[in-house]
Amino acid sequence: MPGNIRSVSFVWVVLVCLLFCSRLTSVGAAPICANAQSGCHVLSLANLFDRVIQHSARTHGISNDLHSEFEQYFLPSKNHIGRVSRNCHTSSILTPNGKDNAQRMAREELTEVILKLLVAWRDPLWHFHQSMARHHDFNNFSSNKALEMSDMVHELRQGVEKVAEKMQVLGIISNTLSSLSSPEASLPSDSADWRLMKDFDLLYCLRRDSNKVQNYLKILKCRIVPEHGC
Amino acid sequence: MAVLSSSSNLLLLLLMSSLDWLSTPGFALLMGHQRVTSPAPLEPHITECISRDQATFQCWWSQGNYHNLSSPGALRLFYIKKDSPTSEWKECPEYVHSNRMCFFDVTHTSVWIAYCMQLRSQENITYFNEEDCFTVENIVRPDPPVSLNWTLLSISLSGLNYDVMVNWEPPPSADVGAGWMRIEYEIQYRARNTTKWEALEMQPQTQQTIFGLHIGKEYEVHIRCRMQAFTKFGEFSDSIFIHVTEVPNKDSTFPLTLVLAFVGIVGILILIMLIVVSQQHRLMVILLPPVPAPKIKGIDPEMLKKGKLNELNFIPSGGMGGMPTYAADFYQDEPWVEFIEVDAEDADTGEKEENQGSDTQRLLDLPQPVSHHMNIGFSNAVSYPDDDSGRASCYDPDLPDQDTLMLMATLLPGQPEDREASLDVVKKGPAPERGERPLVQTQTGGPQTWVNTDFYAQVSNVMPSGGVVLSPGQQLRIQESTSGAEEETQKKGKEHKGDEDSEEDKVKELQFQLLVVDPEGGSYTTESNARQIGTPPSSTIPGEGYQTIHPQPAETKPAATAEDNQSPYILPDSPQSQLFAPVADYTVVQEVDSQHSLLLNPPPRQSPPPCLPQHPLKALPAMPVGYITPDLLGNLSP
Repeated sequence: MPGNIRSVSFVWVVLVCLLFCSRLTSVGAAPICANAQSGCHVLSLANLFDRVIQHSARTHGISNDLHSEFEQYFLPSKNHIGRVSRNCHTSSILTPNGKDNAQRMAREELTEVILKLLVAWRDPLWHFHQSMARHHDFNNFSSNKALEMSDMVHELRQGVEKVAEKMQVLGIISNTLSSLSSPEASLPSDSADWRLMKDFDLLYCLRRDSNKVQNYLKILKCRIVPEHGC
Repeated sequence: MAVLSSSSNLLLLLLMSSLDWLSTPGFALLMGHQRVTSPAPLEPHITECISRDQATFQCWWSQGNYHNLSSPGALRLFYIKKDSPTSEWKECPEYVHSNRMCFFDVTHTSVWIAYCMQLRSQENITYFNEEDCFTVENIVRPDPPVSLNWTLLSISLSGLNYDVMVNWEPPPSADVGAGWMRIEYEIQYRARNTTKWEALEMQPQTQQTIFGLHIGKEYEVHIRCRMQAFTKFGEFSDSIFIHVTEVPNKDSTFPLTLVLAFVGIVGILILIMLIVVSQQHRLMVILLPPVPAPKIKGIDPEMLKKGKLNELNFIPSGGMGGMPTYAADFYQDEPWVEFIEVDAEDADTGEKEENQGSDTQRLLDLPQPVSHHMNIGFSNAVSYPDDDSGRASCYDPDLPDQDTLMLMATLLPGQPEDREASLDVVKKGPAPERGERPLVQTQTGGPQTWVNTDFYAQVSNVMPSGGVVLSPGQQLRIQESTSGAEEETQKKGKEHKGDEDSEEDKVKELQFQLLVVDPEGGSYTTESNARQIGTPPSSTIPGEGYQTIHPQPAETKPAATAEDNQSPYILPDSPQSQLFAPVADYTVVQEVDSQHSLLLNPPPRQSPPPCLPQHPLKALPAMPVGYITPDLLGNLSP
């Protein structure tokens, strides 16, 4: 009998432990929607949007910090605004410049604009990182930020592509975006101007473009899935 | 001297002009930078450009020291939007002369495009600074949040501190709903009559908790906001005041709950203690179960303690370990077999074997006191059925009373009596049995043939010459003893006499084997001899594992000739049973009549020898002692 009691109590303890452990793990983990589960779509799109917007905000923040640091170290002798606005390599991309324009723009177009911008920055950022590594004036902190910037823009682009995919699947936008698989072709041939830009100008352009991306994403999100923080 | 003074004046003039030149508001309006307070600029200049909602913006200017230009309209503001290489300077779309402000509405505002501002006087004198260029997103300063209010969140247990939840609404001018502006808020609070503001962490939610405010103090709270990842804050909102006075109720309830909790815990502890104390023994049993004492079936530890090894009950089969029940059934009719086996597995087996061997010889040839072994055998046999049935526990004395013993003996053919009875029988040793040679019969066939037969007899006495005196009139007993002895001898033969053993074994494997024990030499006659002796009178039935040998005088003669004058064998159902003195120990129940009395010795029938095996009990002599009366019937266990 004592053996029976012991075995029973042991089994009971094991069951209780399993119950609690499963509860703990279940509390921590949020349910993940599989690809084709019905009733799960809208929520996951908002979630995706939130994540992408958070990422773009972080990107913009870092670019801002980089730009300020650059200004600290290399205060330009004169105002560069006039110069820069002509020299941004993404100036050729047509982007909405006002709230009304952005709101009036079609979703597909807006998404396309975002992706174009992100794609255009892939190479310049990589080269920027290389040049940062060579510059000994900058401290490691800035060079890490520069490297981080390259990765972040890359991830942001992937995230936006995912969002676009999801929207296409849900039928929110039409399938005209499929042509964006290689948007490099859409860039004008003089996109190599960025190689002529100085680092500071590049940072200025990056800051501006990251802000554009953030804004457009937010507008898109509040138009399509307005819940949770619009 | 004059030259020096003039040069010094020139120098001074130069210095002053350079100072003037330096004091231009060049870097005052740098993009993204705070306005640098410089000594009063002399030129008309743009003071500030601010956007509230990132869709419109305003620019203020000042005439500086040019007081003649202070009249409205004296200075004009021009801007250029650098969205294309061919852009031109345009004039302010909307003047607010009272404020010296230019308002750019939505149509004239483009975000992310560089604007440059310049002032022109009526005479087309341009006052332009390159640092007055900006992009709209960088000049955004949101309006302060509205509807600021607070609610009491909690008061600490000590009653000295409290927490407050402050919430507000985003500024209406900022289009947060469309996502056009992402704002983060900063709350600042201070106690009254202090100068330093405490700032909480910036966060984008429209509510925040202020922890650790002191009861009784009055606090002032205001809020401001800015665009995320930008540096320019908007204006502060109007302050609100928080004041919480003491709440006396809380203190009284606090200790009461503590006291109740304490009392409850103490009561539970007392209960547990009571339970533990009262159920001590049971708990001990559960927690520390007693180790079971070793228990061997058939062995009474009390007997072991007393040292009476002889009286130990051995399991008839397989020795000291577990007793398989099948073995019991198998050898139920053959207690002698078990008897020998157990003896063989005793502690000093070798010695015992030798003893048994010599004892066997003595048993058969010499009437030496082998009662020891016989007793053991008897006791063993007696105890053997006890293991199977009827006993209350293994520790009960295994010596049943006389009556039941007799009953058992009578009911179960082959069960010898109590050892005292056997002893008596042995000691009876009737003289007429002397000179008879016991014929030991063993069974070699299957057990089923033994069920209906009784082929054992009880040894009444052992002849000094080695013969075994069997009880008269009890063919069973005779067969018993003889068979038992035979088995004994068989076993001994196995272990000690190789050739003879093998012969015996071989013989055993065949059907029925008669063994005539040589009372003198202790040797065994072979089967041929036995057959010679036994076969003529009886017809051997090969199929059967049993052959009956009629104890006819004719048969005994050849045996007598072979050995000494001792009767070679005894048959269970031969009329020769009359030769033997009636043994009053036990008999076999033949029938049960209508009055529930057991008929032990039905009238013997003359039956042909072949039929004898089927009716082995019919030739039993009348045994008055063996009758069972109805009152004794009650002692029988069904």
